[in-house]
Amino acid sequence: MALSSEVYEALENIVGPDNITEEPATLDSYAYQWMAELVTNVTDGGKFFDRAEAVLMPGSAEDVQAIVKACNQHKLRFHVFSTGWGPWAASPAEGQILLDLRRMDKIIEIDEQNMFAVVEPYVVAAQLQAEAMKVGLNNHISGAGAGTSVLANACCFQGGGPDVIYFASPQDSILSIEWVTPEGDILQTGSLGSGLGWFCAEGPGPSTQGIIRGSLGGAGGWGVVTKIAIRLVHWPGPATLPIEGTVPSYQAALPEDQFKAAFPAFSDWQDFSDAIYRIYDSEIGYIAHRQFVMWGDELQAAFLNIVTDPTRQLCDLEELLEKPEIQKLTEEMQRNFQLIMVGMTPRDLEYQKKVLDQILKETGGWNISFVEKPDVQRYVLLFMLRLCFKNLNFTATGGFIDTYNSVATPDVWASGEIQAGKKLLKKYAGRIADAGDQAMGPIGGQGGGGVTGWEDFVFYDPFDPDSSKAAAEVSDEGDKLKAVQGRPPGGMLLGLARATHADQEARAQKLSKSPEYNWQRKIKETLDPNGVGSGNYFWGADTSKK
Amino acid sequence: MAEKKDELIQIVGAENVIDDPATLDDYSKDSSFTPPKKPLLVVKPGNADDVQDIVKWANQTKTPLVPVSSGKPHFRGDTVPASDGAVIVDLSGMNRIIMMDRRNRVAIVEPGVTYSQLQPELAKEGMRLSMPLMPRASKSVLGGALEREPIMNPRYAWSLCEPLRCLETVMGNGEMFRTGELAGAGVSTSTREEAKLIPIEELMELRKKTQDTALYQYGPGQFNFHKLVSAAQGTMGIITWASLRCEVLPKVQKFFLVPSDKPDTLIDFASKLLRIRFHDEMLLFNASTLATALGEGADQIKSLQEQLPPWTLVLGITGRDILAEDRVAFLEADIKDFAQKAGVSLETAVPGATGEQVAEAILNPSTEPYWKLRNKGGFQDIFFLTTLSRAPEFVTAMSTLAEAARYPASDLGVYIQPTHMGTSCHVEFTLPFNPDDAGEVSRVQELYAKASEELSKQGAYYSRPYGIWADMAYSRNAKHTDVSKKLKGLFDPNSVLNPGKLCF
Repeated sequence: MALSSEVYEALENIVGPDNITEEPATLDSYAYQWMAELVTNVTDGGKFFDRAEAVLMPGSAEDVQAIVKACNQHKLRFHVFSTGWGPWAASPAEGQILLDLRRMDKIIEIDEQNMFAVVEPYVVAAQLQAEAMKVGLNNHISGAGAGTSVLANACCFQGGGPDVIYFASPQDSILSIEWVTPEGDILQTGSLGSGLGWFCAEGPGPSTQGIIRGSLGGAGGWGVVTKIAIRLVHWPGPATLPIEGTVPSYQAALPEDQFKAAFPAFSDWQDFSDAIYRIYDSEIGYIAHRQFVMWGDELQAAFLNIVTDPTRQLCDLEELLEKPEIQKLTEEMQRNFQLIMVGMTPRDLEYQKKVLDQILKETGGWNISFVEKPDVQRYVLLFMLRLCFKNLNFTATGGFIDTYNSVATPDVWASGEIQAGKKLLKKYAGRIADAGDQAMGPIGGQGGGGVTGWEDFVFYDPFDPDSSKAAAEVSDEGDKLKAVQGRPPGGMLLGLARATHADQEARAQKLSKSPEYNWQRKIKETLDPNGVGSGNYFWGADTSKK
Repeated sequence: MAEKKDELIQIVGAENVIDDPATLDDYSKDSSFTPPKKPLLVVKPGNADDVQDIVKWANQTKTPLVPVSSGKPHFRGDTVPASDGAVIVDLSGMNRIIMMDRRNRVAIVEPGVTYSQLQPELAKEGMRLSMPLMPRASKSVLGGALEREPIMNPRYAWSLCEPLRCLETVMGNGEMFRTGELAGAGVSTSTREEAKLIPIEELMELRKKTQDTALYQYGPGQFNFHKLVSAAQGTMGIITWASLRCEVLPKVQKFFLVPSDKPDTLIDFASKLLRIRFHDEMLLFNASTLATALGEGADQIKSLQEQLPPWTLVLGITGRDILAEDRVAFLEADIKDFAQKAGVSLETAVPGATGEQVAEAILNPSTEPYWKLRNKGGFQDIFFLTTLSRAPEFVTAMSTLAEAARYPASDLGVYIQPTHMGTSCHVEFTLPFNPDDAGEVSRVQELYAKASEELSKQGAYYSRPYGIWADMAYSRNAKHTDVSKKLKGLFDPNSVLNPGKLCF
């Protein structure tokens, strides 16, 4: 279904001829997304999701508003993305237009004294971080990496990450929002809507911000957030990250009296859990994450050697695994996580280091000595502070998803779930790149701690149909195992990819018994009466009308 | 009326439906300037099922309900009916502390639980709750959290809704709904079967098996319902329990007082500490407010006010867990260095007050009578949000307005509370008055109205718009008002919940 010339012209008049296209090859470039081969009911195992009818690149909130109003006038559905990493960036169904917000890439303001920045959708975390650090501030970087949109992570998708323990959940860091509603009105939440600046998220009275995102955002299907103010935190380091080295061993030498990377490790999972509680209670750490186990507990030591040594290559892996010192390190690192301590003053860092020592003493843990090597310190600090190595997720096999995830209190680490996840991955070894325990995730999934958890990474070869099939199977089996335990589904990424591209009526029937999705239907019917938002704002079918 | 009374008796029993004139008179007014209106009845539910039945009944009979959690006295007009024939839903009897979990630092409480009830129980478990400044002993903990009362420790204000986490609400349409990770039957999946709302105690027992608790407040789904009931003055739903994030009870704490002749210097210093989170409690008082917090009666307050510095930054630092003493020691050393550079002094006492006295006052609910009543017997607050950098402008503006109204400058109380990690601050002006002096009451009422309007024009953000502030706040944001009304129409289609408040 191509757009009619009348509709195309109407849209072209808004953004100009240079910022709209219905050229098939360009449209297919948007449909080509990670995980496509796994959502077989849409792609039949191919690499492309549904093709959009046109792609537009608006340059301002006014452009967006005009487009959304035109969509309402012509009953045309739209889907929007910012940096667009993953299947939720592709058009969820045929017959929709895509809004690519890459032209809206301005940092509008950094309020140094009141510690916030105002950004447009295509401002990526690394871009904001570079500017914020110049004035001694820093911003949350999502687990999806430094190249992803600050705004989308906060308002439109999930957005958690390694630094949440100190920086707070991104949605708690949102201040005022400018939102083009699905009807094409501009809603400004909090203090902004009263013309008083960006400093406050809530009110007046009940916060309308509550409908813009919940546990998950609208993922491109629920109006368009065109600007947000986001809270920043202090950065006691240099105005520019002193990056040196060669790929993939980029490093940053930071003042040793204020920056310290540690790898606390434990002999059993109960000690691991107890240590996390002690970290929450003693409030140390700027970043806390189980990061490098994403390569698998059997390979993480060897991989770390490769990425911190510019003379090494991936093909050295097998040789390294034969080395006794690597085998010893592998054993030591089995139950470890990464803790980045940043002292606001040298005394602060000294205190944090003493607290960590005490926690390790109490729990029988140790700090992996490998991380004390200067090169490794510099690599780990840069990795964790900027999260600029997300390509590594694809290094092993070219594709990854997750399975058997858990998000709960720290006690979950000692519940047997890690071992069960490992067993599940082993079952599929050979078809997927199993490397043992691949449970990567935040030690503190909320500001100050609270919940923690992991994604069990599944590395598969997207160009091998059997490997792709195995990836989907392991995700599904993780879901089933979790369901038996009364837990949420284990395969978040594939589950969301499928839900995004599902037949909307079938999905609505499936969600019809979930109260939240019935409320979302009512909210959608109220604020998107023409149903022009894409299907990514989910709803349950109204069974009373059946 | 008799019919309605009988129907309510069927729900909660005769002893919990009250219509004696004295009680109705009590609920018809509060200590604010809100016009009184007598309710039809007062009903006291004992549990969530009662609440749900009452709301369903209200929908059938089109009866306005006014939820009330805290005990008397009330000061903001939100519990005074705005509609004729209203029934007060007094939740103070629902006062169970349902759960306390030290390991995960979370508590679940019903709406009638007060700060004076909860804090000692939490202390036994090694915890405490971030508290607003000196709430009255009868103040509902849930009331405070739901109404986004600012807490005294800005670094624990991860959002303005802290320490509120998950909750159960009976919406205006009578539907019961749970939020955050406690949505549904404890299984937070998007595909679960219709949620069976099993009792919360059973739910929490079940959740232990999956190492879950009640801390994840977001959702369920793609909207944050807890935000839609915050600062709602009971207009969106009646909350029947909520989980709250608690703090570790400090092992060591020290309070410092930083005096100054003007607020600007202290704000610069406070901004520095906020940025690096080298603080726990952080509050800025003028002499009038600090004297009122510490004094036991008008004479003592007057005397203290004469002794105290014009402005005092109150700064608490704590060691809570491991190496508690070491933490306090390094913080004290660093903060002293910063103070020296900022040209301020970190004192353990100033003329008229010691840090320990201030800590004793502010770390506990107010003793009786409520502290703001001790000076003259009555008071009116004006509070709003702004940024810390702009707070001094409003102090100047309010002083000018008070002077123009011939209100005694020395009586004007100022309390500045940084919040949300320092990105905003709550500014609170207190106008004490003698409620028995009609002329004084009238002058304060006039000043309150004029100053509220003028401060709004100058940028005061009434994020919690009580009484006359509602029109000022909502008239500035027409789209938010429109969306708020649409949401109200969804959740409370017959407008039975506290009609006439906010923009509803």
